[in-house]
Amino acid sequence: MTRQNESTVLFDALGPKGRQRSLIASVVSGVVIVGLLAWAAAGLASNNFFEASRWINPLDALVVETTWIPAILDTLLAFALGSLLAIVLGVVIGFGRISRFLPTRAASTVYVQFFRSLPLVLLIWISFTIDGYFGFTADTLGWSGDARRLTFLVLGLGIYNGAILAEILRAGVAALPPGQAMAGYAVGLSHGQVQRLIVLPQVLRNMLPAVLAQLVILLKDTSLGYVITYPELLHSANIIGRDYGNSFLQALVIAALIYFVLAYALSKVVVYAERRLRKKTAAPKAAAQIEAGVTSGQSVGI
Amino acid sequence: MFDNFDLMAEALLEGARVTVVVTLASYAIALAIGMVLVVMHVSPAAPARWAANAYTQLFRNVPLLAVLFVMYFGLPSIGIETTSWGVGLIGLGMYTGAFVGETLRSGINSIPLGQAEAARSIGLTFGQSLANVILPQAFRAVIPPLGSLLIALVKNSALVLAVGVTELTAMSRRLIEDDQSRFDLWGVVIGVTVSYLLIAFVLSYLVRLAERRAAFVR
Repeated sequence: MTRQNESTVLFDALGPKGRQRSLIASVVSGVVIVGLLAWAAAGLASNNFFEASRWINPLDALVVETTWIPAILDTLLAFALGSLLAIVLGVVIGFGRISRFLPTRAASTVYVQFFRSLPLVLLIWISFTIDGYFGFTADTLGWSGDARRLTFLVLGLGIYNGAILAEILRAGVAALPPGQAMAGYAVGLSHGQVQRLIVLPQVLRNMLPAVLAQLVILLKDTSLGYVITYPELLHSANIIGRDYGNSFLQALVIAALIYFVLAYALSKVVVYAERRLRKKTAAPKAAAQIEAGVTSGQSVGI
Repeated sequence: MFDNFDLMAEALLEGARVTVVVTLASYAIALAIGMVLVVMHVSPAAPARWAANAYTQLFRNVPLLAVLFVMYFGLPSIGIETTSWGVGLIGLGMYTGAFVGETLRSGINSIPLGQAEAARSIGLTFGQSLANVILPQAFRAVIPPLGSLLIALVKNSALVLAVGVTELTAMSRRLIEDDQSRFDLWGVVIGVTVSYLLIAFVLSYLVRLAERRAAFVR
């Protein structure tokens, strides 16, 4: 726990009086927090929020099998495909932004600036709406129903997060000591070889925590499939809530908890990757700093 | 392409106005919550630290849309009767507040240890050293990330459409699905895109201005 240091920075090892005061502060804050929770719980209880049947009904074995589990799988499917597309686009655009070829650089910059400033929900929904505008629809490609919805959800997730990953990778390239590329040129590698063999592997490794942190956000963003009625968790929870009219809020809370578990598990992977990286890389401090800078700035998503 | 241009521009302008108001109002809420959270995080009272931690983890790992839905249907149950606007602002504010808290905390972590030690050694209390020494410096260090939070909030504010606030995205949707189809799809798409780009552009300019001023004072 490195946090330990931070919380003791602001006060000395406490004397008897200080200990007494901090004890009082603990008790008071504890009472206030418990009081707030109790107040909320009492309010919920008076509306029979905790009534057992309201929780058991939407968690009926049949509902779990026919709706919850497919919903989780559909969420994970959108997450996996969206991540894949985002990473591919991120690498291509990220290296496009530092290309020596001006048009490539300009196009990549426009891409990033454009897609970074639009809400993801707008991107998903617009691409879903303009489908069919060019004389063919996703249907003609054999994707109909949920496959069509999945296509546009994945497209939105990938295009938007691709722009953000591109920025993360660009920051990683900028932070790499220039001697790395120079050494590559010195042994006679071409520009392409230097990027591919020297820069990219190191950048990918240094930026892994930041990239993974962005993927946690992508996972949460799959909930936007709701607006195009893709059967992910949130949409399914709404359907279940509608089927069991008394359990509407309960179904939503269950969905939120499932999201929490998924995202929390994934963020633990981020912490693990960060720790491994700190042990392994030659320049752990620099990487950690970039990561801190990038995650505090960029990874603030929906 | 831009059929009924004046009607469309008027509607989009109204949507943009709502987006800006929602963004700024919920950002004010988020800043207040973030400041409370960071004080709780560094306070000597353990329950306060636990509560701040639980709050942060909760809101960081649940999608905003789920937060908004739960609040929309849950707030009335605990006796808070409010409008769509209320739910949207509270939801956005509480969600963003967790991120503001984390950003402020990383700002406090970036203050050299000697600052806090110096504050203590001249006899400042916990509250004084926080208010007069640590937080002013921490705030300056986190202006850039707080700025990107504000710009991210512009985009996140689109989600209040789910609880029935007609902001820019909802407005463009309404225009495209207009029952008399008075508006061209591409005209609206271009209009809404330009509106978002403009809002982001102006806000990032203001953020950079704030950054420069803060750096200057330092």
